[in-house]
Amino acid sequence: MTAGAVGEERPTLFLRNATGLVRGWSVRDSMIYACLSTNVVTLGMVEWAYQSTFARGQLLTAIVISGIWVSFLVIAYTGLVVTIPRAGGDYVWQSRILGSGVGFVMAATGWWFILWLWAPIYGAVLSEEFFQPIFATLGTPSQAAWFASHNGIFVVTLITIALAGVLVSIGMAGYARVQKWCFYGGLLGFAVIVILLLAFGRNTFIASFNGEASKLFGIGNAYHAQIADTAKAGYVAPSLSFGPLGPSMLLVPMMMFYLLWPNWGTTLYGEIRGASDFRRVFGGMFAGLWTTVALSVVFLLLFAKTFGWAFYQSVNANWLGAGAHALPIFPYPVMMAGWLVNNSAFQVILLLLMSLWFFGWVGTLFLSSTRVIFAAAFDRVLPDAAATVSEKRRVPMASLVLMLLPAVGLGALYAYNSTFASYTLDATLVIAVTYLFSGVAVVILPLRKPDLWAASPASRVKVLGVPVVPVAGLVTIGLLVYNLVEWLSRSAYGVNHGGSLIYMGAMYVLAIVIYVGARVIRNRQGIDLGLINKEIPVE
Amino acid sequence: MKIFFATDIHGSEICWRKFLNAAAFYKADAVVLGGDVTGKVLVPILSMPGYWEVSFGGQRVRLETRQELDDIQRKIRDRGSYPAVMAPEEVDALSESGGSLDRRFTAEMTRGLDRWLDMADGKLRGGEIPCILNGGNDDVFEIDDILERSPCVSFAEGKVLDIGGFWLVSMGWTNPTPWHTFREAPEDALAAKIDAVASQIPDMDRAIFNFHAPPYGTGLDEAPALDENLRPVHGGAVMKPVGSTAVREAILRYQPPLSVHGHIHESRGVCKLGRTLSLNPGSSYSDGVLQGAILELNEKKGKVGKYILVNG
Repeated sequence: MTAGAVGEERPTLFLRNATGLVRGWSVRDSMIYACLSTNVVTLGMVEWAYQSTFARGQLLTAIVISGIWVSFLVIAYTGLVVTIPRAGGDYVWQSRILGSGVGFVMAATGWWFILWLWAPIYGAVLSEEFFQPIFATLGTPSQAAWFASHNGIFVVTLITIALAGVLVSIGMAGYARVQKWCFYGGLLGFAVIVILLLAFGRNTFIASFNGEASKLFGIGNAYHAQIADTAKAGYVAPSLSFGPLGPSMLLVPMMMFYLLWPNWGTTLYGEIRGASDFRRVFGGMFAGLWTTVALSVVFLLLFAKTFGWAFYQSVNANWLGAGAHALPIFPYPVMMAGWLVNNSAFQVILLLLMSLWFFGWVGTLFLSSTRVIFAAAFDRVLPDAAATVSEKRRVPMASLVLMLLPAVGLGALYAYNSTFASYTLDATLVIAVTYLFSGVAVVILPLRKPDLWAASPASRVKVLGVPVVPVAGLVTIGLLVYNLVEWLSRSAYGVNHGGSLIYMGAMYVLAIVIYVGARVIRNRQGIDLGLINKEIPVE
Repeated sequence: MKIFFATDIHGSEICWRKFLNAAAFYKADAVVLGGDVTGKVLVPILSMPGYWEVSFGGQRVRLETRQELDDIQRKIRDRGSYPAVMAPEEVDALSESGGSLDRRFTAEMTRGLDRWLDMADGKLRGGEIPCILNGGNDDVFEIDDILERSPCVSFAEGKVLDIGGFWLVSMGWTNPTPWHTFREAPEDALAAKIDAVASQIPDMDRAIFNFHAPPYGTGLDEAPALDENLRPVHGGAVMKPVGSTAVREAILRYQPPLSVHGHIHESRGVCKLGRTLSLNPGSSYSDGVLQGAILELNEKKGKVGKYILVNG
């Protein structure tokens, strides 16, 4: 037997050599995962384009406030990870703390059904940040514009779904390596853009923008036309500052579209834990979140410097409002920065480099869904067949069908029905509801599972004698309730329309029907699903 | 015939107590523990003049009374560790190389198992409820004799046991791991062990394979990929199959109606290998949760009737 001691001066425990005793997680790997999940390029740049929804709101203020507020969510989720370090994340925590039914409904809606809607959103991003700018730069603006059409968006959505499906099929082993290189390549692209925006001034940008807009889209004096168009439409871009707070707070629910996901990898954690794990798990997610916030701030300040803040807001507002001189494709900041160098090859290479932010991110689209489907099948809530894996290729065929087919259907709706496409923030809202229940779980954890809590490293993280994790859970609940209230009370977010509410409600009804149906059917078969999380008495 | 199967409790006394209560709780006719019974961690409690001192859960705790000492020992056992009251110089001696730590671990493991078996006697009505235990790759060989001698449990390693008209065959050995544990063997040696015990089964249509190692590539054997320093790679996002090919081939060749496994705690799941239902209930011993499987066997048809995985 090989054994070892752990402790600084005198050992505080001895370990014998046994299976599963692995070293802690790499903070760097967790950070990369969290940073790609809160993706500043694929999600952030798209969402910034909607600033004009709240015309007086300041993006920088909203981003910093969101970063601070979401940091509490990171603390709350770290508490859950180190207390119940099980693969399955929200499903496992909520099932154990709040009950099997709540766990299933929240996991099915937040980690499975709503991912069907994320598929066309990913597709739209691929269209706006890859196909459209590349075809435009290659001098074929009509083909670029086709990718913005109904058919174009649908085709790209199908490509995205196929790509994500293939990545689920081949597993994460190879992809994780790709993901890391994509992150480093993406950072290199970021550095190039920083250099470009620092090296060139406003006048050079105006000239290059006017030149490219004229050459590619036939828009004359395009720079000033953007500001003039939006002014005519009644939009006055705010000057760059940190106030006023009120309208900026209204942008916070929009920033959740990209900043709410530093905990995306928490479904992956295994059983390892220890006193130091709180710092490691927290450190990875926190660093990922704040790397994204820092990149966002740097990007926006440089846009303000070189593009001009009023222009950047206006070019987006004009595109959204389809103004007379609006660009016919998404005014992708990377594309506009590339125009500073009058060389198509360089521009395409820069676009390809920055597309690594997409390709390092797309593989996780259906990863969590597969896990939820498998967990539900093992719990006998779904038919056993849902968890079958083909013998030869080890492909989870049934779960792929359960993910891909609805995603294709919703992709068609998203592409061809502009009303449905406006429900984009539904994709954030439904996951926020799942997070809300995990927030409740973390707050009541010390009461519901006192022994488990007492044994957790999370219970010893205190400030002035007060345990930090449940307090962070309360702040997280505050964050999520604030966002839910805003989303559901203001039509500007595009989620509180009849169709959107019916769509989201239908998902919850579907999850409840599946769970209740499973309870009834399994009961008839003599299987009591109520036993799954019923605790055996100790004495 | 209803069986409760659990595995990999790794010294967690709270899980052992739950295991002993599982027959009554789930109305099972027999309970089976699939291996890895003993713990991996020894927590020294320093015996000082008039008090004791221990580091537990990241905190240094000073214990003034016998009651406090008993409480902390219970908490340590519940989490699957062994409390060991010792003088500071004894701790220093254990931390030096030379094998005394190994001996101390073995002593604590065997003593702990003796305590558990005493508890079992009362709970299992003196052997009235069949309770079958097996070693796993992490268990020292010294536990075998203790289990063999116990009047209230049956030690299953390498045997064919009749439970309610089904033949349970057990093997705690696994394919090699990065930790070089006790009951590991190359795949061809595992295949030979399986064939030796399988040849004694009177009726393969009523056989249950209780093999600690899960079959390779079935989803019951997915563990985080590790680097050479035993650190999970890519933030733990990459899982890889680590089960036994010999176990997989044996299941496909012999096709018993049921096979139960453990070893890979994070790979709770169920799969079909041909006509065999294979499952791994996983393990959450460190949370004090006893993961298990309730299995209803149809004696007439020689089939698994119903099953459910539970977190008890």
